[in-house]
Amino acid sequence: MKKIAYFDSSHDMPEEIIMAAGFVPYKIFGDVHASNAPADQYLQAFFCPAARSFLTEALTRSSEWEGIIVAQGCNATNRHYDVWKRHVSTPFLHWFNGPIKDDSMALRFMKTELWRLIDTLNRQYKVSITDDMIAAASRESNEVKKKLQKLSALRSEKDITNREYLTVLIKSMTLPKKDAVAAIDELIGRAEKGGPIPKNKIKVLLTGSDVTYPELMDQIDESGFRVVRDDLSVGERYYATLIPEDGNPVDALARYYLSIPKPATKVGLRSRIEYLERALSDSGLDTVISQNIKFCEPFAYDSVLVNGELKDKGIRILHLEREFTPGPDHQLMNRLAAFSEML
Amino acid sequence: MNQQTTAPASLEAPQIRIDTLPHAKNLKWPMLWYLLVGELYSMLPWKKTAWTCAGFPVELLWGFDIFPLHPENMATVAAAQKQSQRLIEHAEGMGYSRDLCSYCKTNFGAVDTGIKTTLGGIAKPDIITCTNTICDTHWKWFQIQAEKLKVPIFVFDCPKIVSGTDERTIEGYINYMVEQFYDFFEFVKKHTGKELNIERLNRACEESERMSVLWREIYEYRKCVPSPYSSAETSASFFPLVVLPGKKVGIKFFEKIKADIRKRAESGRGTLSGGAREKYRLLFEGIPFWYKMRFMYDLAKYSAVVTYEPYTFSFAPPKPVGKDYTETLRDVARIMMDLPYSYNLEKRIQYFEQAVKDYKIDGVILHENLSCRPSSTGMIDLKNAIQEDLHVPVLIIQCDMNDPRAYSEAQMKTRIESFIEVMEKNRKG
Repeated sequence: MKKIAYFDSSHDMPEEIIMAAGFVPYKIFGDVHASNAPADQYLQAFFCPAARSFLTEALTRSSEWEGIIVAQGCNATNRHYDVWKRHVSTPFLHWFNGPIKDDSMALRFMKTELWRLIDTLNRQYKVSITDDMIAAASRESNEVKKKLQKLSALRSEKDITNREYLTVLIKSMTLPKKDAVAAIDELIGRAEKGGPIPKNKIKVLLTGSDVTYPELMDQIDESGFRVVRDDLSVGERYYATLIPEDGNPVDALARYYLSIPKPATKVGLRSRIEYLERALSDSGLDTVISQNIKFCEPFAYDSVLVNGELKDKGIRILHLEREFTPGPDHQLMNRLAAFSEML
Repeated sequence: MNQQTTAPASLEAPQIRIDTLPHAKNLKWPMLWYLLVGELYSMLPWKKTAWTCAGFPVELLWGFDIFPLHPENMATVAAAQKQSQRLIEHAEGMGYSRDLCSYCKTNFGAVDTGIKTTLGGIAKPDIITCTNTICDTHWKWFQIQAEKLKVPIFVFDCPKIVSGTDERTIEGYINYMVEQFYDFFEFVKKHTGKELNIERLNRACEESERMSVLWREIYEYRKCVPSPYSSAETSASFFPLVVLPGKKVGIKFFEKIKADIRKRAESGRGTLSGGAREKYRLLFEGIPFWYKMRFMYDLAKYSAVVTYEPYTFSFAPPKPVGKDYTETLRDVARIMMDLPYSYNLEKRIQYFEQAVKDYKIDGVILHENLSCRPSSTGMIDLKNAIQEDLHVPVLIIQCDMNDPRAYSEAQMKTRIESFIEVMEKNRKG
């Protein structure tokens, strides 16, 4: 099946519209193993290395995609859009400007943006996206989310490695949904038959910038931490809530995207803190690893206040600023090891 | 065998300086007015103040008789008073990363240490309002301070006019913005008890436009060769446009300096001292180095004059005048989303290339600001476009607007001198 790729700094891209248009939504993750030299012709080294890697992927692989959509998220999305428009070869590049607020005005605006996207896809690909198609896509999307919810519940008890969890999340956002469901089912089956979380692992909640490559998850695992909750976009934010299946499907999508757990790119710091507190309390956790990738401003801003509030409530928390690299980052692992010893 | 080489003759002519305008010193009046009236509004219980940011239409606040306090502006005051580094380091001690905005960290440090206003401190406001039009930092920063100070906040969500956005889409964006204006009015009423006075708003818009017109007229004179006015002075004198649009004290100041500039232009005199010849006309893009304002003055030693800065010009867009209420709000919404400082790349290239032609620019300096990734995005394309389309050399300088740790005197001098040589070669063709 043909793919439409999207650049999404969080979970802002309504991939169900892409599915309704008959394409596979493919979230651009970049490649931590590849040099960023192609993107570095246009973006300076003090920009988010993940966003630079996304551009590198687009510069080198865009011919595999039918088009690209950039969803409003952090500043990298809207500012880099212009750079992508100049240099990435693609027959279709669309800007999807989701709101950063979640009130009634933002909801109306979200619907307008969804309709603009539908209209643009209809014209570009000579399709006719109907309500029924969107509703079917939402149901398919929900099926993935429900499976991920089940997997997430299991990871508190069963031995599901950090890498396995992230890998299946990435598959959910890059493969056709039926293949994603098969991959999640396979992991759930394996986990159910497998043993419990090893006793030497400390259960943690992971928060901050999105983790887009499994090597970092390996490092966290190797340092003795098992991620059993998170509030990441390549994580719980993607599946914590379901798309309403009643009423008008476009309205339902608008409501869904404005009600998912807040990332740092959306107004609602209090709401983000409350989600974290609830997740910790529901899971009986008292340990958090907070991290932001170098130059990721939204999460770097949030981290001081968010982590401070959690600390005040007795949560044990470590904050890390990390590079974008697959290799073992010994400085980071030393800090993780020290945190583990302290606990 | 070591070969003795002769050091190249210095490109500097230290005796050449900037001749400041006779009325330049009058800037102290609007500054004093701002500080004193701001203090008064902060002290009197029935008066209200708001923190706001660049890109927010201050005239709206005047319409409520709310005094706008500008954390960014006070951060520049801290830098000019050599306080910013210690405040930034204080904020970093609180946990904020070195990679975050130096204005923001200066403000965090200023509030946490309680530094006095004359050194860059700022009073606690009654409300906070900001937009995301220029950067995420504005609302992230203000959201954190609103939480810490326990002050209500309103964030304007400004859709982004990216390259190629069509007019129909922009109209849809404006609809969303206008809805937010009405919500903002309710917010202000709820938290301050004040209501929008339309007459006062219209008056503020008219006076604001009067000030903007004066500034644009000053820029027309800057097209003269030699230029009668340079960035060494505009970097300070544009202050009333940022914090006092629509206030007579600022208009009076602009009228005085415009008269000085006109006189100079009519007599064919430039801004360099002793009748020195203006050899290189520069365009400087980005926020100046507030802790090192000498940089702009020192360019004079090379007979170089910055004759145009998109940054200082961007604070004088045409304001809505003589329009009905709805049209006024729609115009304000458009201005908020489409500021020259946040133009998309396609528009930015067109805008810069036109300025290079209009102001007869010999070289462009782009400040790649470590504190402002949004404004630094696309700079490489901007550089390449200007060089390829107009054959005008462009220099990208990486530095920071408020953090002196990013500035290296020797490195800066080397780069500027190399650029002067490039401009000279380019001129000879």
